[in-house]
Amino acid sequence: MDEPEIRPVTVLTAQPAHERTDAVPDTARLAVRMVGLCKRFDERWVLRDVNLDVPSGTYLALLGANGAGKSTLLHTLAMLSPATSGTLNLFGLSATRPAPALRARLGMIGHQPMLYRDLSAIENLIFFGRLYGVSRPRQRAEEMLERVGLTNRARSPVKTFSRGMVQRLAIARALMHAPDLILADEPFSGLDVPSVLALQRLLAELHAEGKTIILANHDIGQSLDLAQRVVVLRSGQVVSDRRTLDTDTDQVTREVIEA
Amino acid sequence: MMQVIQQIALLTGKDLRVEARSRQTLGLVVVLGILIVVVLGLGLGPQQVASGQAATAVLWVAYLFGGVLCFEKTMAVERHDGALAGLMLAPIDRGVIYAGKFISNLVLMVALALVVTPVAVVMFGFDLSAAPWGFALIMAGGFVGFAAVGTLFAAAVSSSRLQGGLLAMVVFPVSLPLVIASTQMMLHLFRDGEPVGGAGLAVLLAFDAIYLVVSWLVFEVILEP
Amino acid sequence: MTKLKKTLMTGYWLVTLALFAFAIAVVFAWTPIEATMGPVQKIFYLHLPIAINTFLACLVTFIASVGYLWQRRQFWDDLAVSSAKVAVLLCSIVLLTGMIWGHSAWGRWWTWSPRLTFSLVLWLLYVAYLVIRPSIESRERRALVSAVYGIVAFLDVPLVYLSVKLMPDIHPTSIQLAPEMKLTLLLCFVSVTLLTVGLIAARYRLHRIESAVGAGLDLPTPTKVPITQPGDAA
Repeated sequence: MDEPEIRPVTVLTAQPAHERTDAVPDTARLAVRMVGLCKRFDERWVLRDVNLDVPSGTYLALLGANGAGKSTLLHTLAMLSPATSGTLNLFGLSATRPAPALRARLGMIGHQPMLYRDLSAIENLIFFGRLYGVSRPRQRAEEMLERVGLTNRARSPVKTFSRGMVQRLAIARALMHAPDLILADEPFSGLDVPSVLALQRLLAELHAEGKTIILANHDIGQSLDLAQRVVVLRSGQVVSDRRTLDTDTDQVTREVIEA
Repeated sequence: MMQVIQQIALLTGKDLRVEARSRQTLGLVVVLGILIVVVLGLGLGPQQVASGQAATAVLWVAYLFGGVLCFEKTMAVERHDGALAGLMLAPIDRGVIYAGKFISNLVLMVALALVVTPVAVVMFGFDLSAAPWGFALIMAGGFVGFAAVGTLFAAAVSSSRLQGGLLAMVVFPVSLPLVIASTQMMLHLFRDGEPVGGAGLAVLLAFDAIYLVVSWLVFEVILEP
Repeated sequence: MTKLKKTLMTGYWLVTLALFAFAIAVVFAWTPIEATMGPVQKIFYLHLPIAINTFLACLVTFIASVGYLWQRRQFWDDLAVSSAKVAVLLCSIVLLTGMIWGHSAWGRWWTWSPRLTFSLVLWLLYVAYLVIRPSIESRERRALVSAVYGIVAFLDVPLVYLSVKLMPDIHPTSIQLAPEMKLTLLLCFVSVTLLTVGLIAARYRLHRIESAVGAGLDLPTPTKVPITQPGDAA
């Protein structure tokens, strides 16, 4: 019995991605290079031939409907699960097969805080700092708590925190080891307005420090305000990739909802 | 190598710290263990209690159920709030995550045994003094294999929703060789007064070695955030 | 299915069943009656080949489980569960024939003899495989847990064998086989093996269809890729 072979459809971008951004990057300066990346869950392709070059220091927003493949793309970037085919390079080094050493240069803010609720804020940070081999983890943890404004709650267990505080601590956790590439998977969902603004400001600061940021988001207007570059995914394919300066909300909305 | 040991110690230390703070698991499994011993003691009746032979079987039942609860709980800690993804993002080997969890489970099981065994010994009039070290050796061999399999399946089965009983259904049949081998050895040891050794110990050690290696290999592939 | 495939399948079953019927006939009509056990000994001609085929079915489950972890394709899981079902069926027969044997030899339906215990534990191992599956809702997780279990259970088999050897075995059983007996045994083995392979294949086909239907329901409609079998259009 022959399996019906479902092939990834080759897409679509008229030009290679990097020609659409400001400068043509040399590969050493690329934080991310994806070539022909495909990911299959069983018989279903969730990423189809994704090509993406992200120069260091870029603030990129990843848009798409639910199930378009945003989370899968971020998971693949974070080396949480390997791609089915294609190649992935991070900072010029191969990450097609998960490479533990490269993980130290990534920081991820996900749907979930990835914290231990029975431990205190500072215990959580010190634990993850040690896991990443951060030198002087206690000092670094105190710095990070100050940065996200949780110093006065350092010794409270996480389970006593509000949603916004948990999210701030999650960000501190993701930044404990000073990663160069920050992956944020819908970090704004479920936050109140002050927390959203604080997080936006924090991401902008990190970008100003020269970090590369990839933000999966579904608020189109907000993404265009925050990022330099916006990539739209639909059914696991990149359908557009352009600078936010050249584009407007309606256009991106149409691309997201396939009009 | 030093680094790997440090990482494992860090993970186990974190698990034990979480347990110390939440005090969820140990109290639960110890009381469950005592309950099992009591229920079986009542069910077997006074004549059986005197024989002492039933004690190893009773102990195994307590260890099996208590152990499965330990495996479930220690993995639930990771599933809650996606902490496991945090571990998977860190620059450590998947094998290290397995080893850390395995040792945490082993520590909890030993703690369980340290309470439940004396209770069973008293209630069943089981004379351990004939061969305490033989007993400890056999049980240690059993625990290592049981925790190896249990840790593996806890990671595979566990999802955000706790599926009661499922883990037990997976781990119990697989652990039967351990139960058969160790109960047979206990009979030889305490009824016949033969020393521990030979074939029985070889089965236990083979079980331990095979499942530690297989789990370490498989863990790499099955771990999902 | 193509016509050719259908013809081949029918042919396979006809040959298998004919051979099996012939083997049974040979067992009863041709082979001599064993001296100590009497006619009950004839169970042995089924018992041993089925026991070996139980092991083969477990092996198929093991290989398919490894395949699933390696490639994460649903058909590996379908194959694993198909052969596990056949393994349980065969193991049940082994267990029952073993009990009948034990009853006529020692007058009791159940003894904790190493061999019977071994069959029982093996049976439990694979029954557990089948009963845990429905309680896992997600298809991927079910396949994943099953695959890990399929590997662990198979590696367990030799350990179970070694551990039951520690139990006291008071009933040595060894039979001197006459040449006719050996030939009959061979014939039975071939036909039972063909039967096993056929059963696994039939089960597998059924599970493939089921999971194709399941997958179709999971897919979001716009990107849905129709699942076609070659020849369906005809």
